[in-house]
Amino acid sequence: MCGIIGAVGRGADTLDVLVHGLSKLEYRGYDSAGVALADESIDVCKKAGEIDELRAALEDRSIDGSVGVGHTRWSTHGPPTDENAHPHQDCSGDVAVVHNGIIENYQELRDELVSAGHTFRSDTDTEVVPHLVEEQLRGGADPEAAVRAAVSRLEGSYAVAVVIAGIEEIFAARNDSPLVLGIDDGAPRGPDRPNGDKPRGGAYYLASDVPAFRDHTDRVVYLDDGEFTVLGSDGWRVTTLAGEPVEKTVDTVDWDPEETGKSGYDHYMLKEIHEQPRSLRQSLSERVDELGGRVDIGDLADLNPRGVQLVACGTSYHAALYGAELFRQAGIPAQAFRASEYATSPPPIGDALVVGVTQSGETADTLSALREAQRRGARTLGVTNVVGSTVARESDHVFYIRAGPEIGVAATKTFASQLASLNLLALGLTSTDSTREIISSLRDLPGQVQEVLDGSGAQAVAETYLESDAYFFIGRELNYPVALEGALKMKEITYKHAEGFAAGELKHGPLALVTNQTPVFAIVTGDDELAQKTIGNVKEVEARDAPVIAVTDGQSDVERYADHVLRVPETHPRTAAVLANVQLQLVSYHTAALLDRSIDKPRNLAKSVTVE
Amino acid sequence: MVDTAVVLAAGEGTRLRPLTRNRPKPMLPAANRPILEHVLDALVEAGTDHVVIVVGYKHDRVQNHFGPTYRDVPITYARQNKQLGTGHALLQAREHVEGPMLVVNGDCLIDSALVQDVCAAFDRGGGEPTLAVLEGPDARQYGAVTLRDGFVQEIIEKPQVDEYRLINAGIYAFDDDIFEAIDATPREDGELALTDTLARELERGRIRGVETDGLWVDASYPWDLLVVAAKILDHGLADEPERDERVWVDETAIIHDDATLQPPVVVGPDCEVGPGAVVGPHSALGRNVTVGANATVVNSVLDVDTRVEVGSTLLETVTGQNVRLGPCSVVSGGPADVRVGNEVFEDEELGAVIADRVRAEGNVGFAPGSLVGPNAHLDTGVTVDGQVRESAEVRR
Repeated sequence: MCGIIGAVGRGADTLDVLVHGLSKLEYRGYDSAGVALADESIDVCKKAGEIDELRAALEDRSIDGSVGVGHTRWSTHGPPTDENAHPHQDCSGDVAVVHNGIIENYQELRDELVSAGHTFRSDTDTEVVPHLVEEQLRGGADPEAAVRAAVSRLEGSYAVAVVIAGIEEIFAARNDSPLVLGIDDGAPRGPDRPNGDKPRGGAYYLASDVPAFRDHTDRVVYLDDGEFTVLGSDGWRVTTLAGEPVEKTVDTVDWDPEETGKSGYDHYMLKEIHEQPRSLRQSLSERVDELGGRVDIGDLADLNPRGVQLVACGTSYHAALYGAELFRQAGIPAQAFRASEYATSPPPIGDALVVGVTQSGETADTLSALREAQRRGARTLGVTNVVGSTVARESDHVFYIRAGPEIGVAATKTFASQLASLNLLALGLTSTDSTREIISSLRDLPGQVQEVLDGSGAQAVAETYLESDAYFFIGRELNYPVALEGALKMKEITYKHAEGFAAGELKHGPLALVTNQTPVFAIVTGDDELAQKTIGNVKEVEARDAPVIAVTDGQSDVERYADHVLRVPETHPRTAAVLANVQLQLVSYHTAALLDRSIDKPRNLAKSVTVE
Repeated sequence: MVDTAVVLAAGEGTRLRPLTRNRPKPMLPAANRPILEHVLDALVEAGTDHVVIVVGYKHDRVQNHFGPTYRDVPITYARQNKQLGTGHALLQAREHVEGPMLVVNGDCLIDSALVQDVCAAFDRGGGEPTLAVLEGPDARQYGAVTLRDGFVQEIIEKPQVDEYRLINAGIYAFDDDIFEAIDATPREDGELALTDTLARELERGRIRGVETDGLWVDASYPWDLLVVAAKILDHGLADEPERDERVWVDETAIIHDDATLQPPVVVGPDCEVGPGAVVGPHSALGRNVTVGANATVVNSVLDVDTRVEVGSTLLETVTGQNVRLGPCSVVSGGPADVRVGNEVFEDEELGAVIADRVRAEGNVGFAPGSLVGPNAHLDTGVTVDGQVRESAEVRR
C-alpha cells in the first residue's frame, strides 16, 4: 500500500514534478518517501516520515536529472526507516527501483542474489528488483531486456518502475497493483528561449493514481495486469511482459486537480463531510424520475439477479450490509461478506450476482473476492468511485457512485454516496411498490443532509464526552450498519475505543461493558416496532447509568431516556440512516479535533488498501 | 492587468431575513443560481485568475457550494470571524493578495462589462484607487458620488437628500497599499468601512471614478429577489440551454410533455415538472425543484429542493430551500403592504416569502405579503397572514 510516480520529458522540472506528485499520493501511505533522478548517474534522496521530511532533506542537497521516479511508503516489510524507504538501488548504484505491492518469492530471490555476491542494504522485498536488473545488465542484456527479465522473475503483486543511469527512459510493469500512465505530447520543456520560443516536447508520467500527475495532463492510459511499458521523452509504448505490442486507448479524465484543495476547511475530512449535499446530488442526478416512478441504471436493469452477494472491506462493508438489507426487503436473498474472507472461503454462489463495493476500486481484498467469484463463473458488478479503476475494468458491470475525489483517509462522503447508489441499484434491479416514495426521499436527501450540517449539535456532544473510556453505538436493521460505521469512524480518527452493536445483542454480552464512562449512541428513527425495541435497549443502558445520545428524527419518545439528542429530519427509514450517519461523522470529527489527532492521515492507516 | 479579485461575502444581509437564516445574502438565488455565482461569472469572464472570497456568516454554505475552484479559477477563502465592516473584511484577505486587486461585493448582481470598465480605468491611471459609478438606483440607499473629469469629487454615504445622480457601485480596483490605508483609518462604532478609508484617501490624493452602464442589481429586501430574477431572464443571462425562445431548461430536468413553460423561464438541474403544470412567465426553479401535476408557478423564484405539490398556485412567491407546499396551496399574489418589524412597505408586488424548510400541509392559503419564517409548520387548511415566526406551529 504505497504510491509510486515517475516522470520523463520535464527537464529541470523533474524533481518538482515528482515531489508534487508524491504529495498528491500521500493518502496511500506516508511513513516514508523518496525520489531517484537519473542522468549519467543516479541521485537518490529518501527519508522516513511524511513528505515534508523529504522536502527538508532535498533543500540541503542538489539532486538533478531529467528522468526520475518517486515513492511514498506504507510499511509491509521492515519498519519505516531511511534505509527501507524507496527508491532502492543495486550494488553499483546505477539502477533505482520503486515498487508498490508484495513480492512473495523475495526471500528465495534474495538468497540467490546474496550467494551471487550482492549486498542488501534494506529489509524490504523490493530491493531484490534492482539487484536482479543489475545481474541481467552484468550478463550483457540491454536495459529494457534486463528489466523485463528481472520482472518476469517476480511472483506476487507489483507496480514497479525502474530508472537506469545513462538511459532517459522509465521501465515499468504491473501485476495486481494499480499503475496508470499520463500522456502529454506537448509539455513545456525548460525556460523560454531568448527569442521568446517556448520549447515543448513530450512529457510522460506514471503513477499509482491519477491525481499524482493530474495537474500536468488529463490524458491517461490504464495498464492491465501483465503489461510492461517504456516511457521516453520521445514517446511511450506498452507491451506484454514477453514483449508483444499491446494496443492501448488513451482516456481523458475529468476530475479537476484543484478538487484536492481544502477549500477553507481545516481538514479534508470536514470539507468532505460538508460536500455531502453536493456529492449526493451528483450520485443521483439523471438517475431518478420521481413523477415517473422510475430509476435509470442503464443496462444494469436487465441483470434480473435471483440472489445478491456483496463483498467489501471497512466502511464499504458497512455499505454492503445496508445494501444487502435493501435487496432482502425487495424479496431477493442477499448477504454481505467480508472480502478478505470471501476470497479464501467463498460461500456457494449459485446464480447470485456478486457485487464488489470499493471506493477506490483498487482494494486488494475486494479484487481477490471478485476474481474468485469470476473464476467460479459468477457475474460481477463493481460499485466504485474511481472511473477506470481495476474493479471497474475487471468486473462484468460497473456502477459509479460519483462522489468525486475523497482525500481524507476516513471515508465520509463516499459512504453516503455508496448508500444512495445501493438504493438506486436495489430499486433498479428489483421491483417494489414503494419506488416513488423512496425516490422522493432520495431527492430530499441532499437538502436534508444540509439541514443536519446547518444545525448539528455534534460538537457539544464531542466536548461533553471527550474523556470517556469507550464509545458504543447501537441500531437495528438499516441503522445497524450505521452503528458499525459510527464506531469505525471514531476508532479511525480519535484512536479511542469504540464498538457498534446490533441493539438486540446488547443484553447477550456487550452490556457488561457499559458503565457511566461509556456513552451509548442510539440510532432510533421512525416509531415502529423496530424503534420501540431499540428504545427498550436504550432503557437497559440508561439503567446502568451510561450517558445516552439519541440520534433521532423525533418521531418516537427516545428523547425521554437520552442525555443528548442529535436531531435528523423526518424521512424514509432508508435515507434516515444516511442522515444519522452524518451526525456521527461530525461527532467523531469534533472529538478527534479536540484531541488534536492527525485527522486526515490517522496513524497506521492508508486510504486505499492495495495489499491483502 | 488586475487579475486577482477579492469578493466580500461575509455579511448576513439582515434585511433579507428570514431567507438568510441558514446562509448569507450572496448565496440567495438570483433566478436559479446564487447571487455570488453570477458575481464570480462576471469576474471570470473579465479575466480574473485568482479569487479570494472573504467569508464569515454561515461560511460553510459558501465553501461547500463553490469548493476550491470556480470555472477552473482557484478560490482562496479568508475568514472574517466578526463582521466589523467592509474595510475590516478586506483586511482579512491581506495575506492572499499581492499587487493590484479588484474588490467587489458578493451580494450584488453585476456583469463582466462593469468589471472590465473598472479594470481598464485602473490600468490607464497611475495606481490610484478606482471605483465604478452608476446612474440609476436610489442614491439614498447607497453611497452617492460626484465626479469631475473622471475623478471623484465627493463620496456621501446614504445621503438624506434626493439630489445625487450617481452612486458608488461597490466595485473597486486598488493597489495593495490600500491595506495600510485601512490600517490607518480610525474605527467608527468599532467598525471599519471601506468608504471611510476612501473618504480619507480623497483628502490626501485622487480617486478615479469610472461611469459605467453595466448590469447592477441589488436586492435590499426578500421580494427584490423577484425583480432580480426578472432582470436576469429579461437580459437572457440564464446559463441553461435555451430549449425554446427564452425557455432555459437544464438537460437533467424532467419536464412532462403536458407541462407548459411560459417564457421567460429557467429550470435548473434535476427539476421535475409534472403533467398539466404551468411554470412562468418570469419564474426560476433552482436545482432539484419539483412542481407537481396541475400546479401553477408565475412570477416566482423557487429555491433548491422546493416541492410544490399537485394543484397548487403560486404567484409572486419567493421560497427558500427545501420548502414543501402540500396539494392545493395558494399564494394569490400582490400587491400588498408588507410589514417587516416596525416598518411597512406599501404596495409591494409580493405574494409570499416562504423561508427554508417551511412545511405546509395541503390546502394552505397565504395572504398577500406574508412572510413565513424557517422551519414553520403550517397545518392542513390554515391561512397565514402577515409574519409567521421561525419554527412556529400554525394550526386551525
